Amino acid sequence: MLLCLAMSGICAAETLTVLTWGGAYERSQTKAYFEPFTALTGIEIRTEQYNGGIDELQQQVKNDNVAWDVIDLVKSDSIRACDRGLLKPIDDDELPPAPDGTPARADFYPGALTRCAVGEVIYATVLAFDARAFSVHKPTKVSDLFDLERFPGKRALQREPIAILEWALRSYDVPVEEIYNLLSTDRGLDLAFRRLDAIKDWIIWWEDGATPARLLAEGEVVMASGYNGRFFDAAVNDGLPIQTLWDAQLYDYSLLAIPRGAPNTDLARRFVRFATSTRQLAEQARYISYGPARESASAQVWKHAATGIDMRPHLPTYPPNFERAIRKDHEWYARTGDRLQERFASWLEE
Amino acid sequence: MIRSVSVVTLLGFLVGCVVAIAAVGFVEAIVWLNDALFVSPRSRMLAANEPWLVAVTIAVPTLGGLVVGVLCALIPDRRPHGPADAIYTAQSMEGAMPARAGALTAAAACVGLGAGASVGQYGPLVHMGASLGSWISRVAGAGRYLGTIAIGCGAAAAISTAFNAPIAGLVFAHEVILRHYSLRAFAPITVSATLGYVVANVVFERPPLFRIEDVQVVSPYEYLAFIGIGMAGAVIAMVYMRAIMVSGRISQNLPLPGPVKPALAGMMLGIVALQIPDVLGIGKEVLRFAIIEGAFTPPELAVTLVAKLVVTALCLGFGFAGGVFSPALLIGILFGALAGTGMEWLAGDDRSHIAIYAVCGMVAVTSPVIGAPLTTILIVFELTRNYDLATAAMVSVAFANLIGYRIFGRSLFDRQLLSRGFDLSLGRDKVMMRQRTLREFLSSDYTKVAPTTPLIAVRDALIADGRSEAYVVTESGAYTGTVTMNRLMELAVADSSLNGDAAAYAVPEPLVLSPDDSIWDAMSRLESFVGESIPVVEESRLMGVVPEAAIVQAYLHTLEEIRREENAAA
Repeated sequence: MLLCLAMSGICAAETLTVLTWGGAYERSQTKAYFEPFTALTGIEIRTEQYNGGIDELQQQVKNDNVAWDVIDLVKSDSIRACDRGLLKPIDDDELPPAPDGTPARADFYPGALTRCAVGEVIYATVLAFDARAFSVHKPTKVSDLFDLERFPGKRALQREPIAILEWALRSYDVPVEEIYNLLSTDRGLDLAFRRLDAIKDWIIWWEDGATPARLLAEGEVVMASGYNGRFFDAAVNDGLPIQTLWDAQLYDYSLLAIPRGAPNTDLARRFVRFATSTRQLAEQARYISYGPARESASAQVWKHAATGIDMRPHLPTYPPNFERAIRKDHEWYARTGDRLQERFASWLEE
Repeated sequence: MIRSVSVVTLLGFLVGCVVAIAAVGFVEAIVWLNDALFVSPRSRMLAANEPWLVAVTIAVPTLGGLVVGVLCALIPDRRPHGPADAIYTAQSMEGAMPARAGALTAAAACVGLGAGASVGQYGPLVHMGASLGSWISRVAGAGRYLGTIAIGCGAAAAISTAFNAPIAGLVFAHEVILRHYSLRAFAPITVSATLGYVVANVVFERPPLFRIEDVQVVSPYEYLAFIGIGMAGAVIAMVYMRAIMVSGRISQNLPLPGPVKPALAGMMLGIVALQIPDVLGIGKEVLRFAIIEGAFTPPELAVTLVAKLVVTALCLGFGFAGGVFSPALLIGILFGALAGTGMEWLAGDDRSHIAIYAVCGMVAVTSPVIGAPLTTILIVFELTRNYDLATAAMVSVAFANLIGYRIFGRSLFDRQLLSRGFDLSLGRDKVMMRQRTLREFLSSDYTKVAPTTPLIAVRDALIADGRSEAYVVTESGAYTGTVTMNRLMELAVADSSLNGDAAAYAVPEPLVLSPDDSIWDAMSRLESFVGESIPVVEESRLMGVVPEAAIVQAYLHTLEEIRREENAAA
């Protein structure tokens, strides 16, 4: 490291550090972004893993000691980080157009481009269940998560106030378009936590995105929340009896951004441009069931790299899957995240 | 015939398009303002900063009230207009609603609702639709008949767009505005209502206003409860309507400039909202919570109900432009939820979902207020497409309207018109005849003589004109009395030379009318009248006369007009 610093540009230029999420998701990025980028430029990609959030980034920027060149983050985090000046703005004009010449701004789906980040995939936080656990009735909707009578057993849920509050309100038959308005009132939050209270003793909390599929596979839990791509990976690549519910799933963008004060800003920009090109985004969807953030990439027909199955019915953006989806309210999360965390933490301790 | 069919249909088409787009714009503007001004729960949650939010909660409705007050002061009769004005225009066959009052009322309602006033948005929408319809028909050069139909088209399109309920829109225009079912009006209003629905659903892809998932009536005895809810709901509706009227009277007696009054109401609303934020604005979240079991405790339901009723009466009485419908929905649904909770206590688990009770309460309070039982039932049916729910609601509505009509009158609109002197319960003929004044029937065909005219000359003049009554008018035009041929003949028996002048023998008529008297007034005073014609006097000047036959003809003509409108086929 000291040697690198001493030699400045050259050594640092040979590796790029990317902060991402590990597991099947990172494997798809390795296949679609990292390996082709290294082949093209000779620059090595080194990865570090995290579970979301911007606290550490904030710390690093504050101490002027940024370790990452590129970070992969969810949309609400990208908005918060950008608002706090932790990210370098990225101009749409820098991004490559679609193969037919459509400029990037028109090619990316609405909401996939923000001031400081470029969308890669649309993923969904879904509820999945162990098909072996239920012989007669199988869960069909997200409110079954709260039905211990018909669906007894442990549930694995993310140790974050994300998706579970929406699902709790959905279980009161609140229409999708009213959920965030209701969660914005004390009464709505009380209702949501009351639902969670009822299953609290049956929850196993997870933090790392790979855990829920593992807990299901090991029979530790009968239902789990998680990212749809991870459950797909477990079901298709590992042949596990995991079924995904396409009901009230929370869909969100995953985006690439460059921290302010990143060691190799120019290289990082080059990498972001490369990774979010039509070809690379389409390539990623051969490895994991996330929807590309570009229209031109979605339009390319693709099959799963390993098994050759049609990927489209497994994407969050597939129309029948999309019908009952909840659009994650990024602004709401970006502005209320801290307060939600506080309330969630105190509820956990109750 | 084909031409007239295509003209009315085209009118419905045009009005439907314009009103639907305006209605979507109106609703969207309010949503935007609610977000920008920290009225909506989401924007309040995002704002987070507590002390600052307290100041904003009071300042926004206060300043909003001030703006509303200033806008309303620009309206010629210095009050926001509403559905009652549309009903009046249609019932009196005036055919035209003032564009200035329409535009200013819509703007004032938008500002008030945007700033969180506890008033309804559907009244302004209906009035805006009716005004636009009326304006379009005038621009297109249509006459009075089509003008009235265009008002109905506008109201239908507004309801259809706002509720995604085309059938309710169609029925509303007939049931509330036109109050008859002519085939000629039916086609264009159907076209207009359908267009409103198409624009809202297909063009703008707006989500349904209020979705209720599948709920069912569990046991037949519950219909008894729905009847009870209907009757009790009518009582709440009457308290609500009285409160609005009382608040209006208090406001009138306050020695404050007009625009300050709504600002004062806004300030009080803001203060209440600090404790009970549910009273702010249209309160869509409250509607939803009310149908969720356990979201409110019974005391919370009762407190919110009373608070909403009081602040709504305050806002409306003190001059906020807005409707009575949305707050009635809210008050009613809280009442229904309370009744549902009570039923749970009585019947235990053997009770339908609280949503059914809540909806019954909602319609039981709303329907007597707007005097539209069919529309209310259809709105429930079209919004929820749930037969059980609509049937339960129908039972409540029927009893609510029955009680409300007996004790209070057909609707708040009719009461408002009554206080302005138009009693719609007496029938349209009377309303129309109270509207038409004698001025348009004045005749100058009469024999006029000066006070100094010798009686012999008066006799000659009457013989020449072939009349039996001469009116004695001074140089300044003042009417002093009448000399009749009869009187002249009596005098001639005593003294055939008829010495003396007209002034000495003129007798004032027992019946003298003013040009501002209505045909109705004239008709009712005619009963004891014998003579040729009645002098019409304004500030003691003789303006002309009305022959008795003219009044009778005007009456018959009015009846004929009503008959033609109500039976017109195309």
